[in-house]
This record gives sequence, C-alpha cells and structure tokens, in this order.
Amino acid sequence: MKKWQMWTAAAVVVVVAVGGSRAAGWWGSNPSDDKSTLNYGLAAEVQNLDISKSTDTYSNTILGNTESNFLRVDSKGNPAPDLAKSYTVSSDGLTYTIKLRSGLKWSDGSALTAKDFVYSWQRIADPKTASQYSYLTSGVQNADDIVAGKKPVSDLGVKAEGDNTVVFTLERPMPQFKYLLSFAQFAPQKESFVKKAGSKYGTTSSEQIYSGPYKFEGWNGTNNKFKMVKNDNYWDAKDVKTDTVKWQVIKNPETAIKLYKEGKIDRAAINNSAEMYSANKGNKDVKDSAMAAATYLEYNQAKNPYLANEKIREALNLATNRKDLASQATGGTRDAATGLVSNSLVKAANGQDLAKYVNPGYTYDKAKAKELFAEGLKEVNKGKMNVSLETDADSPISKSTVDYLKQAWESTFGSDISVTEKVVPFKQRLQDSQNGNFDIVVSNWNGDYQDGSTFYDMFKATDTGMNNGQFKNQTYTDAVAKAEGQDANNPSARDADWKAAEAALKNDADINPLYSWKGASLVRSNVKGVVTNPAGLALDLTHAYRK
Amino acid sequence: MAKYILKRVLILIVTLWIVVTATFFLMQILPGTPYNNPHLTSSAIAQLNQTYGLDKPVMVQYFDYLVNMLHGNLGTSFQYQNQSVSTLIGQRLPVSAQLGLQALVVGILLGLWLGAISAKNQNNKVDGALGVVSTLGISVPSFILAIVLLYVFGYNLGWLPVSGWGDSFSETILPTLALAVGPAATTTRFVRSEMIDVLHSDYIQLARAKGLDGTQLIRRHAYRNSMIPILTLIGPMVANLLTGSTLVENIFSIPGIGQQFVSSIPTKDYPVIMGTTIVYAAMLMICILITDILTAVVDPRVRLK
Repeated sequence: MKKWQMWTAAAVVVVVAVGGSRAAGWWGSNPSDDKSTLNYGLAAEVQNLDISKSTDTYSNTILGNTESNFLRVDSKGNPAPDLAKSYTVSSDGLTYTIKLRSGLKWSDGSALTAKDFVYSWQRIADPKTASQYSYLTSGVQNADDIVAGKKPVSDLGVKAEGDNTVVFTLERPMPQFKYLLSFAQFAPQKESFVKKAGSKYGTTSSEQIYSGPYKFEGWNGTNNKFKMVKNDNYWDAKDVKTDTVKWQVIKNPETAIKLYKEGKIDRAAINNSAEMYSANKGNKDVKDSAMAAATYLEYNQAKNPYLANEKIREALNLATNRKDLASQATGGTRDAATGLVSNSLVKAANGQDLAKYVNPGYTYDKAKAKELFAEGLKEVNKGKMNVSLETDADSPISKSTVDYLKQAWESTFGSDISVTEKVVPFKQRLQDSQNGNFDIVVSNWNGDYQDGSTFYDMFKATDTGMNNGQFKNQTYTDAVAKAEGQDANNPSARDADWKAAEAALKNDADINPLYSWKGASLVRSNVKGVVTNPAGLALDLTHAYRK
Repeated sequence: MAKYILKRVLILIVTLWIVVTATFFLMQILPGTPYNNPHLTSSAIAQLNQTYGLDKPVMVQYFDYLVNMLHGNLGTSFQYQNQSVSTLIGQRLPVSAQLGLQALVVGILLGLWLGAISAKNQNNKVDGALGVVSTLGISVPSFILAIVLLYVFGYNLGWLPVSGWGDSFSETILPTLALAVGPAATTTRFVRSEMIDVLHSDYIQLARAKGLDGTQLIRRHAYRNSMIPILTLIGPMVANLLTGSTLVENIFSIPGIGQQFVSSIPTKDYPVIMGTTIVYAAMLMICILITDILTAVVDPRVRLK
C-alpha cells in the first residue's frame, strides 16, 4: 500500500467510525426534549440506602424522593400530609396521634401499615443499628436511654394502634417534631424486608423497597448512573407527572455546568467557588435557593488561655468585617452572618426571617478591637498571642476565608498576634474539633429541620457534640431551656428566647459568626414543580415535571 | 519452571503480608475520624467504636483483621455503611480493568508504530520530532494530560463527553487517551533503540542484500525481534496504569477502584483502605510475575531459577 492510500484508508475508517457511532446514538441524544424524563446530577456517589444509617446528602436526596413519611414539606416550607391522612397534637404538645391514609402500599404491592413506622423509629434508636443519627430521636419518651443502651427499644414512645394509627409520646413539647415526621431517616421500613435483606439491606436499589413517589432502579452499589421511575403503588401516583428521573454522579462542578449548558442535566450549582459564581451569575437561568447552613468560628476556651479571655475573643470578633469577608473571600457566594442562626431557616412568629428577628448586632470596629485586645493581652500576661486557625480543605472558599481572617487580624493587632493557618481534610478537622485539638476552628452547620432549635441546641450544654470550644454560658443555656420548656408551645415567646440566646452568645463572644450559605444554581426554566428545602430534603421532585 | 513459580508465589504471599501489616499500622497514624456526623457526642462515638471494634487494642484489631482476611472477609465499609468491601472492589475492578486494558492496547500499538517510524528515519527530522513528542509523553503525568484533553476536546471543541462511564463507548475515549500516552511514549523509545540495533544486525543486512525494501523489511523481519524487550515493559506499565488511573478516574467521574482508593483515605474508611491496598499490591505482583514467565517463554536465552 502506498502512503497516500494508507492515509486515505485511515481517514475513511475514522469518518465511518465517528459518523456510524454518532448515528447509532453512542454519543448521546439531547435529553432535555423528552417530556417524561428529568435529568439530574449528584456531586458524589450514593453511599447507601439504609434508611436508618445513611448520613450523606446525596443518599438522602435519593431516599427523600423514593421514600415517604407521614408528612412532606411543601413548597411553602410547611409539613403537609403525605402518608398520613391527618394528625392531632394534644394541648400540652406531648402526644401526637397520626392517622394513616387507607390502602397504603409498598412498591412491591404489600400493605404499608403503622407497624412499619414504629419499626423504623425503633431501629434508628437501637444502639445495635449504630446509626449516626440516633440523637434525632431525643425527646421521644425513653429515646435517650434506649440510644445509650439502658432500655430496650420496645420502651420507645412510639406505638401502633391498629394498622392505621401511630401515637408518639414525647418527654417535652417539641414544636419541631412535625419536621421529624417528614424526615427520610424516619421513613417507614418493613421489618420482614429489612431482616430478609440482612447485611445487604440498602446496598443496591433492589435491596430496598419504596414508599415514596418514585422507585429507585439501576444502582448496584457503586455505579454512577441510575434512575428513579414512577412508583404506581404510591397513594398519590396520579399527581406524579414524571415517569423517569435519570441521575448521574458528576464530581467536578465545572463539568456539571458544562453538561447543563449542553442540555444533558436540568440543574447545576454555581456556588462552589468565587470564580465559578462570577463567571455564571449573569446567566438568565440562575436561580437562588435558601440554605439553612452557617459558618462560624469556635474559640477553644477550655484549652487556650488567650481564648479563655473574653476581651480577646471580643476583640477578634470586632476585628472581623463580615460584609467584606462575604464579598472578598467568598466572592458573594455567601451572605454576611448576623448571628449563629443562618438566614432563611424559618420565619419568626412576627413574619420576619428568624435570623433578622434575633439579630444581636455584631459590628466591625477596628479601634475598639485594638483597645480590647491590648487589655486582654495584659490580663492573660503571657506576651504575644500565637494562634492556629483550622479549617477543612474541602472547598476553595474555606481556604480563602482563613486567608482573609489571618490578614485582617494581623493587620489589626500587628505584632501582638501571629496566626498560623491549618488546612486539613474534613475528617481530620472533625476529629480535631471533637478532641478539642485546636485553637480556633472554622465550623459549619447545616440545620436538620426548619426550626431555631436545630441551631440553638448545639451549645445548650458542653456535651452536645457540637460545642467544641467547650464554653459555658448560663444566660444562653437558660434561654434555650426556656424556649424548649415553658415557652415551647408559644411561638412568639419562643422567638424571644432565641433572641435572648443569640444576644448571650454575642455578649460573651463565644463564637464568631462568619457567613450564611445560599444556593445558586442554573435551573432549566421548563422544569416546574421542584421544591428545594433549606434543611432536610434538598431537592424534592415529587411534583416536578417538564412543561 | 513449576518450582520457580511456586517460589515466586510464596514470596508474593510474604510480600502481601508485609504490605497488609505496614498499611494497617500506618493507617493508625492517619488523623481523622471515620464518622461523618459532626453532631455525635463523645458517648455516641464510644458506642460506635464499640460496634465497629475500634475500641479494642490495636494488636487485637490487627489479628482480627488478619483472621478475617484469611477467611476472605475484608469487612464492611464505614463510609458506604452496609456495603461489604469485597462488593465495592468487585464491582469497581472490572471498570478499572477495562480502562487499563484499553489504554495498554492503544499505548502499545501506537508505540510500536511510532517506534518503527522513528527507527526507520533515524536521526532525521521525523525522528527528532518523535523524540521530542515521546519525551514529553513520558514526562507529562497522565492526570495533567487528562485535564488538558478534557479542556480541549470536552469543553472547547465539545467533541467528546466530559464525564461518566457505562452509557457509551465515547465516554471512554478521553480517559483511555490520557492513560495511553505514557505507555505509548515509553514503547516508542524502546522500540526505536531496539529496532536500530536489529536493523544493523547481520540477518537484516542479508535480507537487504536479497533486495527487500524498507517497510517490508521492518514488517517481516525486524519487528519480531524488537518486541522482546517490550514484553518486559508490560509489567511496570500495568503498574503505572493502575496508579495513574486513580487520579484520571477521579477527573472523569469513572466508578473504578482508583476513585474508591483515593476517596477512602481522606474519609478514613479503614476497611476500604486496607482492601484496595491489598488488591493493588496483589495485582502488581501478579503482573510482574506473569511478565517474568512470559519473557522466559518468548526468549529461550532467559533461564528462570
């Protein structure tokens, strides 16, 4: 064969291969035209579908759309009846009586009854299950003792009365309890199915049965593409307008944006980095969504003598310009914090956003900061303050945040302070926090449910697992106890207690609130009916459809 | 030969034990908690540790692990709760194997072709250009190349999919290329030098004297003898592909074992770290063993002892 013949032959082969495979659909068609199908990306793998044990957001997103609970949070943020027909709360707020809809079925067609709910609550509380979310049962009668292994699970204050009624007995009134009744972690589980699946339970899409609007299919435990298909046994199947939701794992956020622009997926987040945000925020498809997540600094008051000094903590707080931090270090992807509680968590009784209502008035005052810092140093009497500032390395924004703080503090306090950055993997940061092995740490909390207590519970004692700085603030503790005790059934008094708690935190400078998170995504405009929740199920596709 | 293989297998088992031991104890120094939830109280952590046996002394944990491993039980992942490590690895291994094999085949074929061209054009412009390209191919790591390919063919030109696995063959093209360039470059250089030697040998001179022209000569006579050293290269190449693929899999969201390995370390998923290390180590040693045996089969001058 002559050379030119070879090249021609090679060119023909390439053209035929490319053209032929394209015609055969190897290169994919444009999915955003198909009306019965929606397409979404997950930023990480689904880890497991064990209702009691899943801990990650992504598994939770799948579970939340394929499993239903008594209630489901609607587009206005209110828990509305799902598998429950109705529920009543006793006047003391301690007894919840829930009536189920009649004729409820699992995806396999078997009957779904009150027992399945009771079993699920007992299973998550059972220490043998080793659920990392067992603490959420706290407040239900005997839950704390059962979680600690001191009482049998049958003592839990959840009982089935017949096939259609579930009664919860609480130890204290919990206005947030209705949100727990919508949680994926408390969705019903069929005991016989769980027992039969044994150690394989929730490890593939066929090792789980579904009570929600969709069934999960095509997940073998490790693959990156799977789908949800409409569950015809769901009680409200007639209102589920989408037949198939296709999912794929897309770890790189830039790739997700690219796939969105190609029409391959219907949603892509743009707030992972400041650069990405500024490059895309002008796109007409951008939609903001509320997120009940906050970032704040914890001061190690138990182990660091400088940080045990209130004046020094106060000075550090005053030397933090939160507005500037949000615009410089996070590029506008976050909003400046006004307190511990995040923005958009929930509305206070007077209609204001809770964060706005409780705002204790953190300020930036460089001169006063300097003055207090000098006084504090004198009181501690150990010379220059060397302090480490720890954060996890999981997002570029956390690194720019500590860079900003280091620069701000060192320029304010000059040679009196030296800040060392410590950027570590998430799990190491978590361990350092838990062991008190830090000076100042950047902490994040994403609320579990739409109620102030998900934030204020964190510091009500030193052993909550979240009070890593180990501070004691009696005023704060009293205010939270009042909100969860005598004021529990009085929304406006409860809000006032949260406000007092927030003021107490600021007064003692126990934490340093930095910013409040918000979602920003490219969202396909012809996809309607999607519900995004600031806490709990992030993306609810029950009533989503393509117009 | 049988004796030789048996000896090698025994060495392999001892090496594997050393790897298991070293990994197990190194893992203990790794900072971080295996649990995800920041809200866990110290008593809840103590209880979880008890459930997973992490409250026992390290030596006891080590022997428990060895005993379980000998029973074929690699444990259950912490991160993917309920998922057994052998399932996690078993499902991901074929994906990585397919990717590795594709890259190896493409790389070696490309290398053989370019190497021959280079040798034939010894010391002229074509040879020089190929020399520069192959040096670049060897020195640029596969993950850098992966990002460049992704950017050019995925983002800018939009010819090929940028992420995913399993839907279409086209998804495998970019990662395969990224991984194939290294082996291709290495093969090119080896084939070139080997073929230059061969081309100067007596039997080639004879063939030339008989009137065979360049291409015929290379295809019929020179290739076969130049391929022997390539065989010895395949072992280390497979090793490079395996380790290189960890990052490339991450870049293209490919659900392979490499991605699993990378993500298990920062998440402190002890059983998965152990399991993947063992599988990697075993695969590498087996590859090298097979290469050694193959070399002996192909080249009778090599004697195995």
